[in-house]
This record gives sequence, C-alpha cells and structure tokens, in this order.
Amino acid sequence: MKDGLNKEKTNYLMMIVVLVIAFLLPVAVHSPAYLQILILLFFYAYLTTCWNLVGGFAGVLPLGHSAFVGIGAYTSTTLYLHYGLSPWIGMFAGGILAAVVGIIIGKPTLKLRGAYFALATIAFGEGIRVMTENIGNIGPFLINGPRGLLIPLKGNSFSNFQFLSKVPYYYIMLVMLIIVLLITYVFSRRRMGYYLAAGGEEQEAAEALGVNVARYKLIAMALSCFLTALAGTFYAQLMLYFYPKGIMGLDLSFEIAFIALIGGRGTIIGPVLGALLLRPVNEFTRMYLSGLLPGLHLVIFGLILIFVMIYLPRGLQEPLSRLYNWCVDKITGASQAKGAYDV
Amino acid sequence: MKLLEIKNLTKNFGGLKAVNSMNLSIEKGKILGLIGPNGAGKSTVFNCVAGVYPPSSGQIMFKDENISGQSPWDICKKRIGRTFQLVKPFGQRTVLYNVMVGSFLRTISPSEARDRSIEVLRKLHLYDKKDLLTKNLTIADRKRLELARALATEPELLLLDEVMAGLRPTEVEEMIDIIQEIRAGGVTVFVIEHIIKAVMALSDWIVVINFGEKIAEGTPDEVSRDENVIKAYLGEDYVVT
Amino acid sequence: MDIIFQAIINGVLIGSIYGLTALGLTLIFGVIKVINFAHGSILMVGMYAAYWMVKLTGLNPYLALVVVTPALFFFGYFMQQVVIKPVFKAERDVREPVTVIIVTTGVWYVLDNLSLMMFGAEYRVVKTGITGHTFALGDFIFSTPKVYGFLITIATALALFAFMKYTRMGKAIRAASLDRDAASLMGINQYKIYNIAFGIGTATAGIAGCVLIPFYYVFPTVGVIFDIKAFIIVVLGGLGSINGAVLGGIIVGLIESVFSQFMASTWTEAIIYAVFLLILFFKPSGLFGSKMDW
Repeated sequence: MKDGLNKEKTNYLMMIVVLVIAFLLPVAVHSPAYLQILILLFFYAYLTTCWNLVGGFAGVLPLGHSAFVGIGAYTSTTLYLHYGLSPWIGMFAGGILAAVVGIIIGKPTLKLRGAYFALATIAFGEGIRVMTENIGNIGPFLINGPRGLLIPLKGNSFSNFQFLSKVPYYYIMLVMLIIVLLITYVFSRRRMGYYLAAGGEEQEAAEALGVNVARYKLIAMALSCFLTALAGTFYAQLMLYFYPKGIMGLDLSFEIAFIALIGGRGTIIGPVLGALLLRPVNEFTRMYLSGLLPGLHLVIFGLILIFVMIYLPRGLQEPLSRLYNWCVDKITGASQAKGAYDV
Repeated sequence: MKLLEIKNLTKNFGGLKAVNSMNLSIEKGKILGLIGPNGAGKSTVFNCVAGVYPPSSGQIMFKDENISGQSPWDICKKRIGRTFQLVKPFGQRTVLYNVMVGSFLRTISPSEARDRSIEVLRKLHLYDKKDLLTKNLTIADRKRLELARALATEPELLLLDEVMAGLRPTEVEEMIDIIQEIRAGGVTVFVIEHIIKAVMALSDWIVVINFGEKIAEGTPDEVSRDENVIKAYLGEDYVVT
Repeated sequence: MDIIFQAIINGVLIGSIYGLTALGLTLIFGVIKVINFAHGSILMVGMYAAYWMVKLTGLNPYLALVVVTPALFFFGYFMQQVVIKPVFKAERDVREPVTVIIVTTGVWYVLDNLSLMMFGAEYRVVKTGITGHTFALGDFIFSTPKVYGFLITIATALALFAFMKYTRMGKAIRAASLDRDAASLMGINQYKIYNIAFGIGTATAGIAGCVLIPFYYVFPTVGVIFDIKAFIIVVLGGLGSINGAVLGGIIVGLIESVFSQFMASTWTEAIIYAVFLLILFFKPSGLFGSKMDW
C-alpha cells in the first residue's frame, strides 16, 4: 500500500541521514575532548543496547552487568600482557568467557522472581568485583587487585589495538554500536525476539505455546554477556588503564540499566535514546558543576529516574516516537488504524 | 481411536487429594465436556494433561505415548494446545503478534508465521483487529485471541478451560459455532465449561466430576438425567424419585 | 579459642545492630511488598540527623532518638505518599513491582548526592560520653555503645512485634499485607496503611541511625553498605519476619566477625554474598518466611 511504503521509506531515509551525520562528525569535530565524549556516548549506548537483550526483551532486571564489562577487559588485557596476544583476539576470548559466566549465573537466577533476580545479579556482580579486588594473580596472570591493570603505550598500532588519535576509536565504537543495533533489530523480527517478549510478559502462556522460556532467556543472557564483554576490551584499549571499582562497579551496572529504563527498555531505539539524552547531562554537569556541587549530576539523574518511572514507565521513547510518528504522518499524509497505538 | 487416555490419574497437593483415580478417554475428532461444581478438580485434570504439574500417580496417554510429567512446551510441541481460564494475552503487543508467537512453533520463517497467523485470525473473525493492542480488546475478543493463539500451534487436541466464562449469550453462541468449526477442521476438543447450555450443545460425550472423582459420564442427554449429577449440582432435594 | 569467643561476642553485638537496620526493610518489603532500594540512604539520613542533633545540642544520642525517630517516620510517610504510591497505582496488576525498585533507586541517588552537596564527603563522627567506652566481663571485652545497640535492637524488635500482634493498627497492617483488596473491602484504607507501615520502617532506620553514630562514621555514601547488607539479611531471615531480621543480622555479623580472624575483611564480603546466593537458590523464603510470601 502506498501509504505504508511512504512511512517505511521515510524511516529509512531518517536512518541514512543519521548514519551519514554520525560517520561524518569527526570531520567537523576535531577536539579530542569532544570526540572522547562522543566515543563514551556510543560506548554507553552500546552497553545499554546489549543490556536490553536481557533486561528489555527477556523482561528481567539485571543489575550486575558491569561484571561482564570487567571480564572482557581483564581477559583481553591479561592475555595481552602475558602472551602478547592481540586484543582483537583477546576480545573474543573475553566475550566467550563472559557468555559462559553469564550462563552459569543465569541458570539458577533466571528462575527467580523479579526483585530476587535483581538482588541476585547485584550479589554476583559485587561478588565478582570483590574477588577481583582480592586477587593478586591467577596463576601466572597478573590481576593486581584493586590497583587495576595498566596497558603499556605502544603508539599507533592496529594489531595492538592502540591509536594515538581518537578518531579510529570513534569509528570502531560506532561500528560496534551499529552492529548490536542490527542484532537487536533482527532479533526482534525473528522467532527469538517474539519468544523472549512473550516469555518476559506472560511466562505461563508462552510455555503453553511451546516456548521453553527458561532456555530462551539463557540464550539472550549469553549473547548479551558476550557482546557486553567486547565493550570491556574496547574500554581497556581506549583508556589504557582500568580498575575493579571503575569497570565492574555497581555504579556502572546501575547506570547501564537505568539509561535503558529511562530510554525505554524492550524497544530498539529506547536504550540509544536514553544514552543520547542522559550522557550529555551527565558529562556537562560533571564538567562544569562538579567543582561547585559535587554529585549534582547524580541528583539530576535520580530525579529524572523518579519522574520517568512514575509518568512514563515505558520510557522516553514512547512520547518521543509518538511525536516522531505524528510528524511523519503529517508529512506523508498517511493515517494509522485506531487503537494501533496506546489509547 | 483413543486420542487421549487418562488412566487412574491422582493428584495430591500436600494433604489434599484434588483428583482421585480419574479415568477418562477421548476419541479422535470428538468433543468431550468436563463439568462439575466449583473446586471439583476440573482444572487440576487439565493442568496435569497440559504439563503444568506432574500427576502424583497414574498415566496420561496421548496417541499411545505416556506424556505424564512432561513440560508444557514439550506437550505443546506434541500437538496438545490449551487456553487459560484467566486469559493471558501478551498485553503490550498486537493481536497478530500474539498469534505469531503460536505460529512460530511450527515454522521458523517470520513471513510464513505471519501468513499462517493471518489465516487463523480470519477463521476466528479477528482479522480486522489484527493490529490492535490486546489490552484494548473486549473480553470476548480476548477469549477468541486466546483460542487463536492456541490454534496457531496446530494442535491435534485442544484443551479449552472455561472459554465461555464472562461472555454474553450472543457471544456464547458465536463461540459454540467457532468450536464446532474447529472440530470440523479435524481438531479434537476437550472442554471445561460451566455454562451448561453450551456444554450440552457442544459435547459428544460428557464426564462429570465432583470432589476429584468421576461421578457420571455419558451423552449429554444421559448425564442430565443422572441422579448423582443432579445431587451434586443442586442437592439432594432435587432428585426426582 | 578466646579470640574466637571474643569475635563471636563482637559479631553478635554488631550483628544485632545490622538486624536493627534491616527491621524496617523487612517490614516494608514484607508488608507493602515494596523493594526499597533507598533504605540505606534513609538510614544515612537518620545518621546525619542524629549526628547534627548531637553536635548542635550536645544531647546524648540515645535521647536524640526521641526527635529523630518521629522525624524519620514522617519522612517515610511522605516518601511513600508522594513517590511510591503513584508507581504502585500504575502497577496494580503487575505481580512484581519492578518499577518501584527503580524509583527507590532514584531516591537513593538523590538523597546520597544531596547530602554530598550539603555536607561534603568527609567522614564524621561524634564524640559522645560513651564513644570508645568498653567494659569487661571475665576475659572478654564489650564495647558499651554496641551493647546499648544490642539492647535497643531487642527492645525495638519486641515493641514492633507487640505492635503488629496486639494493636489495631498492627493487625490492619498485617491484613493489608495478606490481601490488599480484601482488607480494603473491610474498611481499611490501604494507602494510608502503606504510608504508616513505610513510616514505621523508616522510623526504625532512624533508631538505627542514633544507635550507630556513637561508634560508626557517617558520610554521604554510608548507606550503600548497609543497604546491601540489609537486603541480604531480609532474604536470609525471611520477608516480613521480625525475628528473622534480628537473627539474620546476627548471622551476618558473626560471619564478618569470625571469618575476619582468618582472612581479609574483603573476602568476608565475598562470603556473605555467597551465603546470600545460596539462600536465594535453595531456600528463598529465608529462615522464617513462609513459602507463600515470595
């Protein structure tokens, strides 16, 4: 139908415009500080999108996901420091380890009710962090406890996953983000996505329709953990230094979850939107106000959280996408069936 | 051919015997109605068949295979579908989405699942509402959606748990027609129902249960005249001697 | 052997106070079914309130109880009314009010960082008459403020227990926790009950705050440690169980105290998490909770 095609075409057009802008930004933005802000923006958007696979689609509330970021960072870095293994390969080793840990954790916890699951993930996340802080070495591998790991500077070296300029990091993270968004999109259109959404909403009903909900949640968990760990390696290579409280702390876990929740979990655009809106607030209040009023960005964050959860429980993506759809409809002159949106 | 055979099914919950040595069978292509006063154990029988919990003892044979104690999803894969008494639609999703979850059991292709779901929706007169969010549906439509979803899994045996509850008389009539069409399509149906008129109209065979035990069975006609049945429902005083 | 006994004594004393901090949480969790992630922050508020009371008026912290406790009661009442109730109403039919967790986390962030902004990050402690005071019984040393804490914990637990069992309000709260709608039909205003129950929960956090400041540092994020511990204790002891909270607290205190004789205290943290997870997997209703509760 002509109307439907116009709407889809408009969406594709918008996406292409956004992509082009994203790819061309480094041409206009030269300041490393601003590039860093953008890189971290993509980093958080990536993390929340990965989180969304479990927290959004599977309908549970994992609050310990930073542990997997840490697993990724520590795995690739220790392999690099000890064997000289390129972090590109170490990245995937970290991902696999994270997936395995995720399955081990997921198997007993995904059976628990909502709040208990959340508490269990906190316990696991903090447990892993605490253990990491206590360990000096695992066999020959240096872990260095609370002091963290330092990666020696090698200058511009692709195989060592290090670059002097921020620009390569920018593109790597951007591509990673696009990939996970694509994965999420494909997921949502295929059986896996339908089953997860159903199982997350009404487990009994889904099971009566032939869905082994527990198994699908576990698959989502494994995938989410794998992808999350990849970002851990990226972070390690970007900063060349990390330590347990920073990379596997509760703060990061909570931030990832809450950005997704404020943006709108279970949707594709929600987590990215959340990151786009909240990270700049975070960065700018921290940059300009933390001298005067330390912690203000968290107060603002907390207030937004409260407000959104009370008035917009499905996240900011709901009013924003309705606004977007309304604009598109005005432009293409199409109309939607009544009741197709929330009344 | 006996599609479903329940042999000496007993289910205990702690000290309570919900179902006691129940024997029941359904012929392929027939409609069996299970009736009885509230708390008689009807849903327990259903839930044992559907795999929600395993029987404490006894066997449930489906196409000569013992399915007792299997998981609900495996049982669905083996072609037993069920609806819930309190409907459980995936509320944040559209009608079509809901049915597609069912169709995905038999095909992995999203477009194929979509096509099959649309066919099911047409059969149940829900096609016009396919893009509505389920939380905006009326109760009658929700019941039909529940049915559509289960049908999408292409069952050979369909368990309907009080699918008429809450419907108006005209809606009940419609539902009776739909179920008869389903049977005509080759699906064997096992109904729990309170609306006596509907059960009598639909069923080829009726089993009456009270306090977890079968107290009567037969054709609708035979059962409506059975003393024990009248006693169970209406009390001693109504038995005509 | 003596060292172990001493560790046990310390463990029981500090553990009982942990239990006190968890009392409010188990009530709120058990009765209103609200997972209040801001509980630790409210404890922090109680501690600062007690701190300032003592610092500015020179009052004995145990007397400050009289002011701090009701103050925190109203704080809780207000919080439930303004922040949690709207979320609750929106999520009426949802079995697991997950949004409440998120909202209370928002409150946690706000409270912790507001106090960071207002009071600064430094660690504070008040010198009271009994700070650092100890007495000896036989070969063993008892820290006086902790003993007072222990006694106050027992007293509070008993008072709460009596309140829930014998007073009209207590029974109403219990009724509301068992079946919201039924209680409502019997003329109990559920939301008012929740406000009161929440208030009682936060009031006990106030008591805990007063008990803690004679020997514990107060700083903006002090609540975080207590928060997690409190949840562990609540799950350990069983949702809504008063004796469960006290006993659970003592168990946690014992683990900390005894195990730290043999290993770094950070490992004891890991052990507590491990115990917590084991309980979640094998007996999620906790020591004293009923299977139905969860």
